[in-house]
Amino acid sequence: MAELSTLARPYAEAAFKRAKETGSSKQWSDSLTFLSLVIQDEALAAIVKNPRVGKQHTAQLILDICQDQIHDEAKNLLKVLIENDKLPLLPQISVMFEQYKADDEGYANVDLYSAYSLTKAEQGKYVAMLEKLLHKKVNASVSVDKSLIGGILAKAGDKVIDGSIKGQLHQLAKRL
Amino acid sequence: MQLNPSEISDLIKKKIENFDAHVEAHTEGTVVSVTDGIVRVHGLSEAMQGEMLEFPGGSYGMALNLERDSVGVVMLGAYQHITEGDTVKCTGRILEVPVGEALLGRVVDALGNPIDGKGAIETKLSSPIEKIAPGVIARQSVDQPVQIGLKAIDSMIPVGRGQRELIIGDRQTGKTAIAIDAIINQKGTGIKCIYVAIGQKRSSIANVVRKLEEHGAMEHTIIVVASASESAALQFIAPYTGCSMGEYFRDIGEDALIIYDDLTKQAWAYRQISLLLRRPPGREAYPGDVFYIHSRLLERAARINAVEVEKLTNGKVKGKTGSLTALPIIETQGGDVSAFVPTNVISITDGQIFLETGLFNSGIRPAVNAGLSVSRVGGAAQTKIIKKLGGGIRLDLAQFRELAAFAQFASDLDESTRKQIERGQRVTELMKQNQYAPMSVADMSVSLYAANAGFLDGLEVKKVRDFEAALLDFMHADESALMAKINEKGDYNDDIQKGIHNAIERFVKTGSW
Repeated sequence: MAELSTLARPYAEAAFKRAKETGSSKQWSDSLTFLSLVIQDEALAAIVKNPRVGKQHTAQLILDICQDQIHDEAKNLLKVLIENDKLPLLPQISVMFEQYKADDEGYANVDLYSAYSLTKAEQGKYVAMLEKLLHKKVNASVSVDKSLIGGILAKAGDKVIDGSIKGQLHQLAKRL
Repeated sequence: MQLNPSEISDLIKKKIENFDAHVEAHTEGTVVSVTDGIVRVHGLSEAMQGEMLEFPGGSYGMALNLERDSVGVVMLGAYQHITEGDTVKCTGRILEVPVGEALLGRVVDALGNPIDGKGAIETKLSSPIEKIAPGVIARQSVDQPVQIGLKAIDSMIPVGRGQRELIIGDRQTGKTAIAIDAIINQKGTGIKCIYVAIGQKRSSIANVVRKLEEHGAMEHTIIVVASASESAALQFIAPYTGCSMGEYFRDIGEDALIIYDDLTKQAWAYRQISLLLRRPPGREAYPGDVFYIHSRLLERAARINAVEVEKLTNGKVKGKTGSLTALPIIETQGGDVSAFVPTNVISITDGQIFLETGLFNSGIRPAVNAGLSVSRVGGAAQTKIIKKLGGGIRLDLAQFRELAAFAQFASDLDESTRKQIERGQRVTELMKQNQYAPMSVADMSVSLYAANAGFLDGLEVKKVRDFEAALLDFMHADESALMAKINEKGDYNDDIQKGIHNAIERFVKTGSW
């Protein structure tokens, strides 16, 4: 059973290459985000899974919902996906597209968790430290997670940098 | 020694004080599926081949399949609590096990954890289970013997320090018995022994431990256990664990002996893991690299020269060579030594000891087929005295085998043929030996000398063993100095030869057997 990422990769790569050719990365990014949100809606997901609803019908339905929210080439991608029965891959395609876009533009999306809300100065300090570590511009999205007790936890894709008290307690527990 | 509560809290306080908290950076992934001990993890882009991965609940797994978007992990230990969506962390360490002198006398599992209830193992050293074998320049040729203590083996199929000698035979032919006798005979020789039990019943393993304790052999032995009820992953890595423990002794200039009992079960475990990881099956459903799992294991059993030992110990040990001798055991089905895994391992090892059911059932134990068994190191690894006397034995048995078919016509044959057959029968009888009774070099020499010089020719075949037992008692009582001299160096000269000859003549005159 192939991984979702493996199946989604060709589509995401194609979309990104096209986006670079036409210089419309932002547009593509918005369209894909919108499409993946639409697909994840429960009612629509049920219709998409239903084998009795024909491909034409599904295509028409989604295009009606999207109308002007997505640009023309995204509509073409949608039709291709429906044609190949790969519609459920949309969320994964969107994620991978963002990753390609981030790599290309030289920035990393980092989730920053802190036990207490950070001041602008502190945030700036952490962002600077992460930029030095990752050698990329950092696009930080900050959120508060009380369970960390203290310190910060940073997640950038697969990498996790754990400077939280919760993490240190975990290390201590392992040692003892 | 029970610690009182305040001592315990002091210990913990000290550990906390010495704890160095630091910011930890690692890669994480999420579990996608859990089936039959194999876990697929999405992410973990920086996982290394064979790396230990940490799962929630303190379980560990080994990354074996590195695919584009996921990692196939084989679980080492309990995995029932792992669910889809769990977070998996990289530890950055290839699988390691504890090694060192502290392991001697202990029974451990495939990960080095003690299972004999004698407390934790106090060792700071650890070694990865997968290591590259010593290079060509680092090696030295094998010329020191490992005395197995069995006449049939030490005289005709001698094993040297650093050799790999395969013990191959059907079930219930005495393969483990040879291994245990070899371990018992290493008492006092300075050779450390490691017995790796793969896929065996725990009751059998408990028996082995008990027997070794009874004979005082546990103090120089490490037992690594991956019993039949443990996961295939642990049965697969257990031989490598044992090998790492043996390499510790090899690399500090000492000698070690490792017994893998048995590699057939390790191949089955590996086949199970590979099929579950969806690797393509080959001949007999084994994966394509089943040869490699054995060759890389057995190549690590070697003799390394003094220069290499000095380098590995940073100059602390000079002028000593180190060795690791391997006795892998393979179980054949129906005597078929041309099956896949047996032929693989035969081509890797430096010789084999064939055990046959037919011989075993007709009372010849150890059931060694002297014709098919071979040791490619041969005489270079024998003490001088055994080498001299063993040659005659081998010749007698070979000639006997040629004429065995004529044995039923004993009365119709010419004199010389009849003599050869009779000599062969007596030598075969002499090669029989009780279990747990390994013999010293001196004892063996006396027995072999008696056979070569014709002292057995006048006896009835069924009296040969009684004669031998009584002769040895006599030698221990009357000629203990001569025996000690032989045991010391294993030399053979005219003096010793005359000494043995006269002693046996004296014994024969007493007629007491």
